[in-house]
Amino acid sequence: MARKLTWRWVLIGVVTAFGVYSMWPTSKIKLGLDLRGGIHLVLQVNTDDAVRAEVDDAMERVRGELSEKGFPPVSMTRLAEGEVGFRFKPAPNTPDDVLRDVLDARLPDFKVSRGVEVTATLKPEVVRAVRDMAVRQGLETIRNRVDQFGVAEPTIQRQGIEGDRIVVQLPGVDDPGRVKDLIRSTAFLEIKPVVAVAPTREALLAARGGVVPDDSEVVPGDVEDLQGRVTGREYYLLKKASVITGRDLRNARRSQDQYNQPAVSFTLNPAGAKKFEAYTAAHIGDRMAIVLDNKVRSAPVIRGTISDSGIIEGNFTVASAEDLALVLRAGALPASITYLEERTVGPSLGRDSIVRGLRAGLAGLVLVMAFMLFYYRGAGINANVALVLNAVLLLGAMAAFKATLTLPGIAGIILTIGMAVDANVLIFERIREELALGKTVRSAVDLGFSRAFATIVDSNLTTLIAALFLFQFGTGPIKGFAVTLSIGIIISMFTAVFVSRTLFDWVLSRRGRVETLSI
Amino acid sequence: MRLLTNTSFPFMKYRHVFVGASLLLVAASLGLLFAGPGLVMGVDFAGGTQLTLKFVEEPDLGRVRAALESLRLGAVTIQRFDEVGAHEFLVRVQNPKQEGDFTAQMVAALDRELNGAAGGLRMNLQGMEAIRDDLVAADPDRVGGDVEDRRRHYQPMAEGILALRKEKGILTSAADLQGLSVLSAASRQYLATAARFGAFSLLAADNVGPLVGRDLRNKAAQAVGFSLVGMLVYIWFRFRFAYGVGAVVALFHDVIITLGALSLTGREMNLPTVAALLTLVGYSVNDTVVIFDRIRERLKLDRGKSLPDTMDLAINQTLSRTVITSGLTFITVLCLYLFGGDVINTFAFVLVVGIIIGTYSSIYIASPVALAISNLLERRREARRRR
Repeated sequence: MARKLTWRWVLIGVVTAFGVYSMWPTSKIKLGLDLRGGIHLVLQVNTDDAVRAEVDDAMERVRGELSEKGFPPVSMTRLAEGEVGFRFKPAPNTPDDVLRDVLDARLPDFKVSRGVEVTATLKPEVVRAVRDMAVRQGLETIRNRVDQFGVAEPTIQRQGIEGDRIVVQLPGVDDPGRVKDLIRSTAFLEIKPVVAVAPTREALLAARGGVVPDDSEVVPGDVEDLQGRVTGREYYLLKKASVITGRDLRNARRSQDQYNQPAVSFTLNPAGAKKFEAYTAAHIGDRMAIVLDNKVRSAPVIRGTISDSGIIEGNFTVASAEDLALVLRAGALPASITYLEERTVGPSLGRDSIVRGLRAGLAGLVLVMAFMLFYYRGAGINANVALVLNAVLLLGAMAAFKATLTLPGIAGIILTIGMAVDANVLIFERIREELALGKTVRSAVDLGFSRAFATIVDSNLTTLIAALFLFQFGTGPIKGFAVTLSIGIIISMFTAVFVSRTLFDWVLSRRGRVETLSI
Repeated sequence: MRLLTNTSFPFMKYRHVFVGASLLLVAASLGLLFAGPGLVMGVDFAGGTQLTLKFVEEPDLGRVRAALESLRLGAVTIQRFDEVGAHEFLVRVQNPKQEGDFTAQMVAALDRELNGAAGGLRMNLQGMEAIRDDLVAADPDRVGGDVEDRRRHYQPMAEGILALRKEKGILTSAADLQGLSVLSAASRQYLATAARFGAFSLLAADNVGPLVGRDLRNKAAQAVGFSLVGMLVYIWFRFRFAYGVGAVVALFHDVIITLGALSLTGREMNLPTVAALLTLVGYSVNDTVVIFDRIRERLKLDRGKSLPDTMDLAINQTLSRTVITSGLTFITVLCLYLFGGDVINTFAFVLVVGIIIGTYSSIYIASPVALAISNLLERRREARRRR
């Protein structure tokens, strides 16, 4: 008996220590926006825009190439709504092989059918990829903008794996207008000459008498290690006049340099190419900074003359190269955005509801505990210890799982505590019944626990099943409710049954022969 | 102390009376829901833009309404939030046909109507960065340097102002800034003349487009539907089919009557209200299972007894537990209802009503329905055997 008790105490001790460690300090518990204030946005990326842009781009390529060869197409129109592609009539004197070559080279992503007219439709898998890319690009752009906002713990997620909705949660921010302006504004890409780099602003300006020269500006950038993790900040002194801007850029994608290292290649439009060629030819060996949203993304050294296409080398991983390509393309949001849902909770409202909710909840809890003590005497202490432990473990588990506590989550906690109390009431009433039937104290306790246990398992499992379905299908607040409820049910089975039982056994084992039980 | 031990109330004997009363209540609730006022759909499900505003003093609601109606966005509803002395109101524009956010438009319209002249530094409506940038532009402390330097200088002041606003809910005049020690004397002086405090501050804004509204509604219904089926199957598996039906009928009974109470009191359906309904479902099923469990145990112990007698015995034996648990839970939610504040008031209301109904239904609905279904099944089995 004593040995059996020892390991039970150890288990309870370990679990309690874990609970207290996880929940302390209480600031580790993540509060939902409804409790802490902040902004919640759901926006939809209108991916049709991106698909249309892809088609337009292809139309331009074909028209340009055919015109260059001297056979400008006669009429070229986008296909009607619902179809993705375009059609055109080639100039009547276009040689067949020229047309074929152009179509093969310029429209790899299209299904092309040729008759009197040429009809090109974008392949379905490419359409899917374009849409996906548009959402990812939107996500990346929004992330960059929000980073600039300096919010702690922002959540920026895609809803569903293939969804076109993006959820943005910014705790503590209370000006939705500004956030939306920031998201909507086009990110501006600039490539500028680097004058100097230093780890701090002060160091950067020290050589210049502490003032920024009129033709220059200070722009911060992240220092990254080889894995692409941000390890610090550095400051660049850049010329204000940019060599080229996002308007000159046609495309950017991840590629490889001559050493097979990940790199980013980009193409420029003719005007941009002319400017860039002139500049790079004159500044081989200098550094230029790629600035996006007023932050230096990378500052490569110019190795040679670059005209209409270039490559950016650096310490890229595949992922970081992909990111930079995305960032370059994301100079403007790839598609327009519709706001579907927007919630702002002022911090005072959130704080008010926490304070009041907690106060009322605590008042309820104190009344419940007082009743348990009054009605069940000694056994009431057991129940109350189990109840407090239940609350500690629940908060600890929420902190450990990084679950978010919301108002409906508090409802889940109340239901859980109700069920924990109920479990003890069930057990105690059963023990009383068994005592009334004339059983000895020990066997009444044994029977009370074992018989009540079946009931508790049934009622808790029924609720747990419901909670799991709610978690699977629910959204937002309903999910928050389901999370606390599921965690709570499992914990209350532990505290109300296991811990309470251990306390009973401990009391009984200390007293040797037991005639009476305070219950 | 003991309550209600060794009772022998003949619950099953009067079951027809109670089932009849329940049917009336359910019918009345359904009448309210479908033929009467129905449910007031909150912004979560109906779509629209809802602002929670705090006013310096009791506002002229006619002007508030007129200002919003002049935008022609949709039906305007205004509702008091919290106590009278707090001067807080929920102001909503229902616009189920349009996607888009109307917060800025609504705030601007109210600002024009209630605060007069547009523009300037609006202390109660603008965020930290806007207030900071206004100070940066005016530079009352003559920091000079470039924008970055000035931002660093004024940032703590703007943060201090926001923290104060967070604490008070609304800043009423420059006098409120007196106690703010982070504010430099020059800045305070500047704000006393440049800042506009206005009649209201924005505590919260919710905008739900019709697309998301429909989504939320469908998902909530789906979640509730699936969890009901899940419970039915579990109880069927653990007990018998008749009991599963009894439990689920009792749940529908509880939910319908509680919805009726919501309709009667004109309270809103929102996501938190759904969470409260789910809490009630969880609570009620828990209560029902406890009684069923005892019925199952008694059926094994005394085999000769009729099912109604066994049910009576089981309900009586668990009666003290039922009363204590319900009573304690009731006390807790009553505390929430009375002292929990307006944000969770509807939530607590659902639970207060739900616990009464849920406890009642576990005794008077779940068991009688289980009895009726098992009699029905028995009779059909009998008939088949005779054939």
